[in-house]
Amino acid sequence: MTWLVWRQYRLQAAAAAVLLAGFAAVMVVSGLQMASQWHAMLGTCTTGGGHSSCEGAPLGSTIGHDFEVLSVMVPAVLGIFFGAPLVAHELESGTSQYAWTQTITRTRWLTVKAGWLLLAAAVWGGAVAALVTWWSGPRNALYGNQFQPNYFDVQGIVPVGYAVFATALGIAAGTLLRRTLPAIAVVIGVFIGVRLFISDVVRQHYIPAVTSHMSFLSTPGTLARSWDLASGITGPNGQPLPQSSSVNSFNGVPLASLPHACQVLIGQASRQAMVAGDRCLDAAGYRVYDVYQPANRYWAFQGIETGVFVALAAVLLAITYAVVRRRDA
Amino acid sequence: MTAAIDTPAIQTRGLTKRYRRVTALSDCSVTIPEGRICALVGPNGAGKTTLLRILSGLARATGGAASILGGAPRQDPAFLAEIGFLAQEIPLYRRFTAEDHIGFGAHLNPRWDGASVRSRLGELGIPVDRPVGKLSGGQRAQVALALTLAKRPRVLLLDEPVAALDPLARRQFLGTLTAAVADSGGELTVMLSSHLVGDLERVCDHLVLLAASRVQLCGDTDDLLATHKILVGARKDTSALGRAHTIVHAERTERQDTLLVRLSGPVIDPGYEVADVSLEELVLGYMGAGGPPAYAHLTAIGEDR
Amino acid sequence: MISFRVDGRSGVPPYLQLVQQVRQALRMGVLDVGDQLPTVREVVAAVAVNPNTVLKAYRDLEREGLVEARAGQGTFVRRRPPGPPPGTHSRLGRSLARWVRDARDAGLDDESIESLLRVTLRASDSEEEIA
Repeated sequence: MTWLVWRQYRLQAAAAAVLLAGFAAVMVVSGLQMASQWHAMLGTCTTGGGHSSCEGAPLGSTIGHDFEVLSVMVPAVLGIFFGAPLVAHELESGTSQYAWTQTITRTRWLTVKAGWLLLAAAVWGGAVAALVTWWSGPRNALYGNQFQPNYFDVQGIVPVGYAVFATALGIAAGTLLRRTLPAIAVVIGVFIGVRLFISDVVRQHYIPAVTSHMSFLSTPGTLARSWDLASGITGPNGQPLPQSSSVNSFNGVPLASLPHACQVLIGQASRQAMVAGDRCLDAAGYRVYDVYQPANRYWAFQGIETGVFVALAAVLLAITYAVVRRRDA
Repeated sequence: MTAAIDTPAIQTRGLTKRYRRVTALSDCSVTIPEGRICALVGPNGAGKTTLLRILSGLARATGGAASILGGAPRQDPAFLAEIGFLAQEIPLYRRFTAEDHIGFGAHLNPRWDGASVRSRLGELGIPVDRPVGKLSGGQRAQVALALTLAKRPRVLLLDEPVAALDPLARRQFLGTLTAAVADSGGELTVMLSSHLVGDLERVCDHLVLLAASRVQLCGDTDDLLATHKILVGARKDTSALGRAHTIVHAERTERQDTLLVRLSGPVIDPGYEVADVSLEELVLGYMGAGGPPAYAHLTAIGEDR
Repeated sequence: MISFRVDGRSGVPPYLQLVQQVRQALRMGVLDVGDQLPTVREVVAAVAVNPNTVLKAYRDLEREGLVEARAGQGTFVRRRPPGPPPGTHSRLGRSLARWVRDARDAGLDDESIESLLRVTLRASDSEEEIA
């Protein structure tokens, strides 16, 4: 049966290998260029106020960045090509009537076929993720933004989870709908929906976020490599002040809600006035607060999110097995 | 799977298959002994394909029971090894060659005779290294038959295998099939559905007639031909005849009655000329050639006795 | 070597056609005593009939004593079918030709002649049975 899967997917595997090689070539060239730029910069950067003087300096080529952005689509593409036709194509072309009257149970047939294709999806997704993670090294060192949404999604191990989920989704959709094209549509729609929902709504709650309060007088630490969820000002009673994004705001809070004496100082541009303004707010009992996920939770979050998607894939596979066993061919 | 000596090769009891709005099979009971070549006939939509798919395990019945060599169709290598199924559209992998399919078969079936495929196709002059999708319909059917026979099934189920073939391809296909039955020494049972009755008379020794999702006839062709006769006579009241025997189909003109009758004994009335019926006439009579079909006014016909 | 053909439309059961063709072959000398009949498989592959049909035909021939089955070897011709002494055919053929001329002169067409022949044959069959 393994041999049959290999013969059936030989061309697809070759095409995927060629695409992966092309992707790797672009990323390696671009990444090496970025790395040498970074090393050149290293000597000259100074750190102050939580930021490096090198921020904003050009790093890497446009093509590399474009490919990094495109790599977020790789799991969906794997789901479409590896997952959607797996059962659907056999059902719609009728070859399931041939395959399922050979001396192999449907369960074993599905296990071997789906097993190999899920593995292939994991390997391809993992290879792309490894390339992007390596390529992002200099940028992660400079900006520390790998925990931020969108960057988080294409590095580390979560792309493997996405790829496995997308493929399992394709397999399940193809089995339920019995046709490849509708299954592809379902993969695209459901995959995007689930990904957005989890990354925008669910991810931040994997582990309860940390809230830290700091005085206006303390030197700002760096939240680099952390995931900043929210920040603002708490008043003398310890409650966060309502936020607004109007022009007349300070740290997200309308100027008008601050004590008048401090407003005057903040409004001025000089460094002395700013220091005095800080002291004024501190004396009045105002504090800065940050809600964030600390940097040291990065891998925990990667692991949890990967686990979530793998669990979803397992559920989809269980449904697929049940339908394949019971359905008329 | 070993079957007792008198276990029928194929048996169904009250088999029913309902889809959401359509009943494909209704209370079907048939028995086919081992070693027979059984014809499954009936109008299109009568349920022939459905019956074959249930017997091969591709579809599930909604009621009743089916068994092949004493065992119900199920997902089990022991069952799957015994059956061979050939769907009407010859669903092979079109871009793969016959040789590729021989390889697939070897990997998927423990009991596999790949050499027999090559020798059969060699005898017929069919290339094994051309993609199956590029062969003619007749060649493709032969490839599929050879592959199905190579897994050494004991029950072979064929759905309209010759419907799309020209007469020569049809003859060759049936020749290959009957030769395989001859080679098997009575161990191979075949059920093939067809709506071309002419071929079937010489090849089949058992008949199942399905019409309106019900079994109308089931039995050895010799028995069926012996118990049915055509009675021709002057037009008259046939109720007495109908009580003594069963009138399957009647064609009446102003002056003459032509009746297909299932006899329950000898015909006493000398006013009728009694003639043998051919298998084709028998099937057409039950299917109602030119008149109302038999199953519209008969009940409990065809139950295997 | 004899080659069979089965006519699906002749109204004669296939197995009987095979029996008749063997008898005919023996009469005409195509088959001789000691010749081997084709195996069941050979007949079936060439003619596409049910193997049981061939088996039945061969069994009938064996019962008539015309052939014998030798275990493991095949079916062989044992003797010719009993036939009329030589010359009978030609003598009867001539008197039949005379009768046919009479019938045609009397106005019978070919179909009525055939029908008359069939009725007469059947009548003489039942006479024989009664007798």
